[in-house]
Amino acid sequence: MKIVSMDPEKCVGCRNCEYACSFIHSDDFDRKEARIRVSVFPNERVCLPLTCVHCSEPFCMEVCPSGAIEKDDVTGAITIDPNRCVGCKMCILACPFGHIYFNAREQVSQKCDLCSGEPNCVKFCISGALQFIEIEEAYQSNRDQFVTKLKTMLEKKSFEGEAK
Amino acid sequence: MRTPKPGIEVVQTLCRMCDDHCGINVHLDGGSIVDIDGYAAHPWNKGRICVKGRAAIDMVYAPDRILKPMKKTEKGWQEIDLAQALDEIAGKLRAIMEKDGDRAVGIWKGEAIGFAQQEDLARRFCHALGTPNYFSNDSECYVGRYIGYSLVMGALPVPDYANSDCIVLWGANPPYAHPNMTRAIMEARQKGAKLIVIDPRLSAIARRADYYLPLKPGTDGVLALGIIKLLIENNWYDKDFVEQFSIGFEKLARYTRQLTFEFVADETGISRELLEKVATMIARRAPRVVNYAGNGLEHHENGVNNVRAVACLDGLLGSLDHQGGNLLPEGAGLRNLTLYDEIPLQHLGPIGADKYPVLYDFRQECHTMTAMDTILSGEPYPLRAMIITAANPAMTNPNSRKVVKALEHLDLLVVRDLFMTETAALADYFLPAASFLERSELHEHRIYQIINLTRKILSYPSCQDEYQFWHDLAHRLGAGDYFPWKNETELNRWLLEPTGISLETLKAHPGGYRYGPIRYGKWREKPLATPSQKFEFVSAYLKGKGYPELPEYRSPAYLADRDEKYPYTLITGARKLLYYHSRNRNFPRFRKAVPGPEIEIHPSDAEELGIASGEPVRVTSKIGSLDIPASVVETSEIVPGFFQITHGWKEANVNLITPDAANDPISGFPLLKAIPVRIEKL
Repeated sequence: MKIVSMDPEKCVGCRNCEYACSFIHSDDFDRKEARIRVSVFPNERVCLPLTCVHCSEPFCMEVCPSGAIEKDDVTGAITIDPNRCVGCKMCILACPFGHIYFNAREQVSQKCDLCSGEPNCVKFCISGALQFIEIEEAYQSNRDQFVTKLKTMLEKKSFEGEAK
Repeated sequence: MRTPKPGIEVVQTLCRMCDDHCGINVHLDGGSIVDIDGYAAHPWNKGRICVKGRAAIDMVYAPDRILKPMKKTEKGWQEIDLAQALDEIAGKLRAIMEKDGDRAVGIWKGEAIGFAQQEDLARRFCHALGTPNYFSNDSECYVGRYIGYSLVMGALPVPDYANSDCIVLWGANPPYAHPNMTRAIMEARQKGAKLIVIDPRLSAIARRADYYLPLKPGTDGVLALGIIKLLIENNWYDKDFVEQFSIGFEKLARYTRQLTFEFVADETGISRELLEKVATMIARRAPRVVNYAGNGLEHHENGVNNVRAVACLDGLLGSLDHQGGNLLPEGAGLRNLTLYDEIPLQHLGPIGADKYPVLYDFRQECHTMTAMDTILSGEPYPLRAMIITAANPAMTNPNSRKVVKALEHLDLLVVRDLFMTETAALADYFLPAASFLERSELHEHRIYQIINLTRKILSYPSCQDEYQFWHDLAHRLGAGDYFPWKNETELNRWLLEPTGISLETLKAHPGGYRYGPIRYGKWREKPLATPSQKFEFVSAYLKGKGYPELPEYRSPAYLADRDEKYPYTLITGARKLLYYHSRNRNFPRFRKAVPGPEIEIHPSDAEELGIASGEPVRVTSKIGSLDIPASVVETSEIVPGFFQITHGWKEANVNLITPDAANDPISGFPLLKAIPVRIEKL
């Protein structure tokens, strides 16, 4: 099963993902339409692109009174059927990550649908912070990154000792 | 690539919404473009593009795109038949050249639609006419770096990010200016490379830096010299390279010896402690170090020498042409379209070549800012006609008011573009140009040593491609021999011939055809293209022209000779995601996303001036005043005392207040990134 993985060590906060998401879902470059949101904290130099994590046991789906939220057994994508959504906003309140948005124009909830298996946020992510990868691969890259980080921390320490 | 829907054809070409040339998939429904996304098999962007690329649809099908030739008459713009327009333009050019000589005509290449051949065709047309006056945006962008690096190592190197252990970005913000460098840099970081970003603004890339150095604009040179001093003092430099392949090391060492760390810290605003940390980090990782100089270094009175100081690092670190360092580019060996060797033009007095001989020697580039004075004064000779292809100097050249006055003063102004730009509005003839999706041209990508043939995907009857335009005009002026090829495809075939690569091969390789292996250490076998054939820490050539032979640092005027009437300093031209210079402002979707210009202000300056975000302020330089809304940024995002305005907005064109007569004496580049100003709340 593939997920949109996010690496804050790579994100530069350029917002291409937000614009690309908006384009594919609303034919516009309007960040308010995006189902992925990047939080940028310049002073702390932190950038966090976050979107729906497609929970295995989604609260949104559980709480939905109209059965508008479905899970695709193959891709794992949790999607909202706008024709069945009654606009009650219960899913928005239920999501602990805050990744369901309300479309005031259509009076329905909207969220990431993984673009039918080819997420646009990933295709337009120029830094490589977003990847659409098998979940096992995502673990692997975390492990590799941690090893690299430890290695460089130790390297730097010994060199600075030599230099001074 | 998305699985194409039934009936959708997907073809590949290169994007030219900026200068990054990404491989793209163009999705066509019955010949109309319905989507654009990244092409996975292109090594540069590996299937990813930025949103500007997708917005090429907005450009090609823009409702305000002009598809018919137009002539300005007493009743305003009138449509005119293309052949008729070309006949009339040829007639007017002939009359001007008969009266005032061939050099009374200038040709100007812009950035808006170009691939490589756009420039070379315009230059070839200069030869066809016999005028030395080739102008372009390059006399205020890119060439300052080209000259700086070429003086030291004979070429502008390409960065080998993928194999680098340490990447140092000087005044460059890849996420907005060269999007794909971002991914290459982040992949190198993932493998353990360090990132150092030197910039007065905390740019997007600086958010990921291991060390971020918020220096004062125009002081990069002394920072580089400070690093050089540390490299030499600590014996952290490549002695073999220096002894065998360089000249002038002793002079550079002597020069840096007398520079004090206190002076470096005072000038740059960067502490000695941070300087030492950075120098140590770089030295530790040599030779796999990339030093990449961006446009931020060029727009200063000391621009070229600042770039030279940064370039010197490659020789000391051994990173020149080393894997993971800065590589000397190798081309595919295409035929050269220009004719400077066959027909020298310098004796005809190219405009600005007397004042800025280095600019002409290195690039055969005339000086656009001097051109405005020439047009207005007729001195040293009349410059009466200009053909501008996809440039918008009325917005992008400094001192816009003078530019508009000069362009209005011309007897003939022809502008080729997609839209009625601020420059096109001043023209006598508007000729509709073919966008990058309507032309087939060759492009070399020298980091990967691949060559691409771009694909003509659609066409409009009166929108000529670059070749056809120059061909048709040259034939009307009796200079058809210079443009003998039937069309752009035949030209491409001729250009490719010496490489042994066929057009058919290129068509079969939309991800680029590798024309040769990437080789390192080429300077061991082949001398560098400098006068001494060695790496030049000192330049006898510059000395001969009356400039310092060393990359000497001179404190910028805003620091050394501050005029009390202008207590603040304005940086201009920081890149933004959606816009490319003055372009894309007419896409409604982009306008909605980023509606207008603003001036970036540090919170402490905002407090002092009593300004809040969204409030209008008046910015005044020696050239003029500009009213613009404020954007108070976060404390780390800009050095206090410095302000930033991005160019290209007609609602508040910052070039109305940028000076055209304060220039780098070597490159002639204008002072766009450290302008003394006064700021008032309105």
